[in-house]
Amino acid sequence: MVGKKLTKQEELLLQDFSRNVTTKSSALFYGNALIVSAIPLWLFWRIHQMDPYQSALVWAAMTIVSTYLVAFAYRNTKFILKHKVAQRREEAVNREVMKSLGDDKKMSRKEKDERALWKKNEVADYEATTFAIFYNNAFYLVLAIILSFYILKTTTPTINYILTVGVTSGILALFSTGSQ
Amino acid sequence: MRLQLVLIGVLAVCFGNADEDHGPAWLLASKTLHNQFVVEGKELVVEYIIFNVGESAATNVVLTEESFHPEDFELVRGMTKTKWDRIAPGANVSHTIILRPRVYGFFNMTAADVSYLSSEDASEPVHSYTSAPGEGGIMRYRDFDRKFSPHILDWAAFGMMTVPSLCIPFMLWFRSKSKYETIAQQSRKTN
Repeated sequence: MVGKKLTKQEELLLQDFSRNVTTKSSALFYGNALIVSAIPLWLFWRIHQMDPYQSALVWAAMTIVSTYLVAFAYRNTKFILKHKVAQRREEAVNREVMKSLGDDKKMSRKEKDERALWKKNEVADYEATTFAIFYNNAFYLVLAIILSFYILKTTTPTINYILTVGVTSGILALFSTGSQ
Repeated sequence: MRLQLVLIGVLAVCFGNADEDHGPAWLLASKTLHNQFVVEGKELVVEYIIFNVGESAATNVVLTEESFHPEDFELVRGMTKTKWDRIAPGANVSHTIILRPRVYGFFNMTAADVSYLSSEDASEPVHSYTSAPGEGGIMRYRDFDRKFSPHILDWAAFGMMTVPSLCIPFMLWFRSKSKYETIAQQSRKTN
C-alpha cells in the first residue's frame, strides 16, 4: 500500500473528508478573519473613546486571538457546508460539464465523470468558502455590537473590548464545531 | 381742654411721621448653575438673582464673582463684576455669565460677593454672599461624549467598513448559487 498512487477520485475523496485547506484558502481565511476582527476597533476608538496609543497592546493581542478563532470557525463551517452544497449542486454541475464536454469524442466516459466530480468539488468548495465567510462575519459583527453596547455597556472600555472580542470569537469557534 | 388739645397734637405728629421711617434694604442673592452636566470644554451657564426683601431701596449694589479662576474657566460671555445703581424694595434683578471649564475633576463652587448700601444715607456698605452651589464634578469631555453623543457619522463609517466583509462574500456565493439553481431548474423542465 505504501507508495501506491491515488486516483483522482481517491484524492478528491480524501480532500472531501479532510478539514485541511489549501494554502490559498488558508490565506483567504486568515485575511478575512483579520479584517473582520479589526473592524470593531473603530467602534471602540470613536464611540467608547479608547485611546489608540494606550490600548495598542491590548488591541493587537485580542485581534490576533480573534483572527485565529474566526479563521478556525471559517474552516469548520466550510467543511460542514461543503458536503451539503456538493449534494445540492451535483445535478446542475453534471449537466453543465456534460454540456461543455458532450461533443468531445476523444474523452472517455470515465474522464468526463472525473471532470464532473472535480468541477462539483470546486463549486462546492467555492460556495462553502464564500458562504462560511459571509455567515461568520455577519454573526461576529452582530454579536460584537450586542455585547459591546447592551450587555457590557456599564463596564470600562478596556474590559468591554477584551470581553466583547474574546466572547464573540469564542462563540463563533464553538458553534462552528457543531456537526450540522 | 388745653391739655387735651396738646395731647391730640402730639399723637398726630407721632402717627404722621410713622410712615416716613422705613427699615433698611436687605438683599438675598442666589447663584445657580443651569447645566445638568458640567463638562470640560462645554458652556456652563451661571445665573445670579438678587432680591430686595427690605423696606428701603438698596443702592450701589455690586456683585463680584471671584471663584472661577481664569486658568480653570474661560469667560465666554458676561462680566464677573456687575453694578446696579438701585434695587427698589420688593424688586429683583438677575445677571448671567457663561463660562467654559478648561479642566475636569471635582470643583467647589463657592458663593459670590454682594455689597450694597442699605439706605440712602448709609455710608458703610453691607457685605453679603450669594448661595453656593457646592462641590460638583466637571465631567471629562471624552466620558460625556461616550455617554451622550449619537455618533451618527461614526456609525455610518462603521457601516461602510462592514460592507466589503459582508457584501462581497455574499454576492460571490449568491452568483454561483443562482447560476446552478437556474441550470437545475432548466434540467428539471426538460426532463
